Amino acid sequence: MDRLWWHFQQLLKIDAMNLVILVVVVLIGWTIISETIPNPARYLPSPLAVSLSSVDMLVKGLLPSYYSDTLVRLIIGSSIGLAAGIPFGLLLGLNKTVADMFHPMMNFFQSVSGIAIFPIVVIWWGNSDTTVLAVILYTSFFPIAFNVLSGVREIPIRYVNAARTMGASKYQIMKDVLFPGAMPHIATGSRLSIGFAWRAVIAGEMLAGRQGLGWMIFTGQDADRTAEVILGMVMIGLTWIILDHYLLRPIEADTIERWGLVQR
Amino acid sequence: MNSMTPKLVVEGLTHYYPDEYTGESVHALEDINLELYEGELVSVVGPSGCGKSTLLNILAGLLPYKIGTASVDGNVIHGPGPDRGVVFQEHAILPWRTVAKNIGHGLEIRKVPQAEREKRVQEFIDLVGLTGFEEKFPHELSGGMKQRCQVARTLCADPVVMLMDEPFAAVDAQTRITLQEELNRIAMATHKTILFITHSVEEAAFLADRCLVFSARPGRLKEIVEIGIPREQRNWTAMNDNAIFIAARDRILASVREEVSIAVEE
Repeated sequence: MDRLWWHFQQLLKIDAMNLVILVVVVLIGWTIISETIPNPARYLPSPLAVSLSSVDMLVKGLLPSYYSDTLVRLIIGSSIGLAAGIPFGLLLGLNKTVADMFHPMMNFFQSVSGIAIFPIVVIWWGNSDTTVLAVILYTSFFPIAFNVLSGVREIPIRYVNAARTMGASKYQIMKDVLFPGAMPHIATGSRLSIGFAWRAVIAGEMLAGRQGLGWMIFTGQDADRTAEVILGMVMIGLTWIILDHYLLRPIEADTIERWGLVQR
Repeated sequence: MNSMTPKLVVEGLTHYYPDEYTGESVHALEDINLELYEGELVSVVGPSGCGKSTLLNILAGLLPYKIGTASVDGNVIHGPGPDRGVVFQEHAILPWRTVAKNIGHGLEIRKVPQAEREKRVQEFIDLVGLTGFEEKFPHELSGGMKQRCQVARTLCADPVVMLMDEPFAAVDAQTRITLQEELNRIAMATHKTILFITHSVEEAAFLADRCLVFSARPGRLKEIVEIGIPREQRNWTAMNDNAIFIAARDRILASVREEVSIAVEE
């Protein structure tokens, strides 16, 4: 909690002015474009119009409901994906032969994007929550598992040998050497996984027609409510920035940066 | 020199390993016999590729062997075990553990209760002169301090034999001299049985009670040089004009150089 507060203060100190300037510049530019084009309500509503639409949706309770639906999907999907992917990658990495065997297969799956598997999942489970969750799980599992496996393969053998000569069991080697040693890759993998999961949620809601931010964007386009479309986009971007800054960055700062495994 | 039963015994150890690239069988060690008695520091020197590191890896249990036997306290070596501690050449302490956590790792693996662990860890931190650096991470330490940390980690787990694989080869010359004197002091204080692999003749002569000279590949035990200088007298200032040291060093040097020239001619 203290760390979180510290990061918040750092953000205020260093980035606050730059951020404010950047946001103001973007908003002014956006407003100018919106004011000069014909039919802005359809093509590019002004920031004010988007804000008004968000107030309207807030009052009606739609925005909180869509937002929480989307967030819950993301949290459940990517948590399961990470919780399964990290140990899976570590276990595969425990044995060099097994690791070498699985590496190309994992590489194959992590490169087939979530959108590409969507049709087959719809064939299996229809337009349901299960479908959306399955796609999120798929997209978040493989990047993390693949990255952990790569990370374990790159851990210098002398670390493992040092633990072995102290009588460490396979489990102790996994806990004390492989897991922390793969931390730089776990960080990269988590970022990729959660990022992909986030895209999969949005795309999944659009394609499977489940309520949420993605769905809001999709129906907004259908009904010519462009302000809602933009609002959804802004919410998606903001959520990612917050997630990155208050969850992923602090974890990295406390582990791989503290240990000197990466320089910043 | 010692009538007690030896701590480490190697009998008729011969080893071949397949070359990593060509797959050809490399004859690394030939009929190695040696005994280490309690409290002894024995160094192994020899030209590059004479199999001294292979020997250490076999004794550490990291390399399986087929011909001959090696045992510690009468137990035949079949794999790694806490009865042998290894100090590797460099960068073998875990970057994600603090100095204290690295040093206590062996005890943690053996599930020694925390209170006892902390007490022992502090003892060895003090012994190697890392007091005040307990909570530092390895990347915040100098090369010499990392090696002190490794030595403390190995000693803290209280192995029967400490195996050292060219531990000071990667530090600068000034630090190396200090570390050698430190190890001498630690050997005196702990009375640990130590096998010390090195390519430095000076280092071998300075530290060892006995120095084993290996021949060029396949490594054979070519010569044993006894260096009967009491540990209390061993420091670099005194060694510069210590007749026993100089004689031992020159003898080892001549012996190794003979082997190096053989290795080069091949």
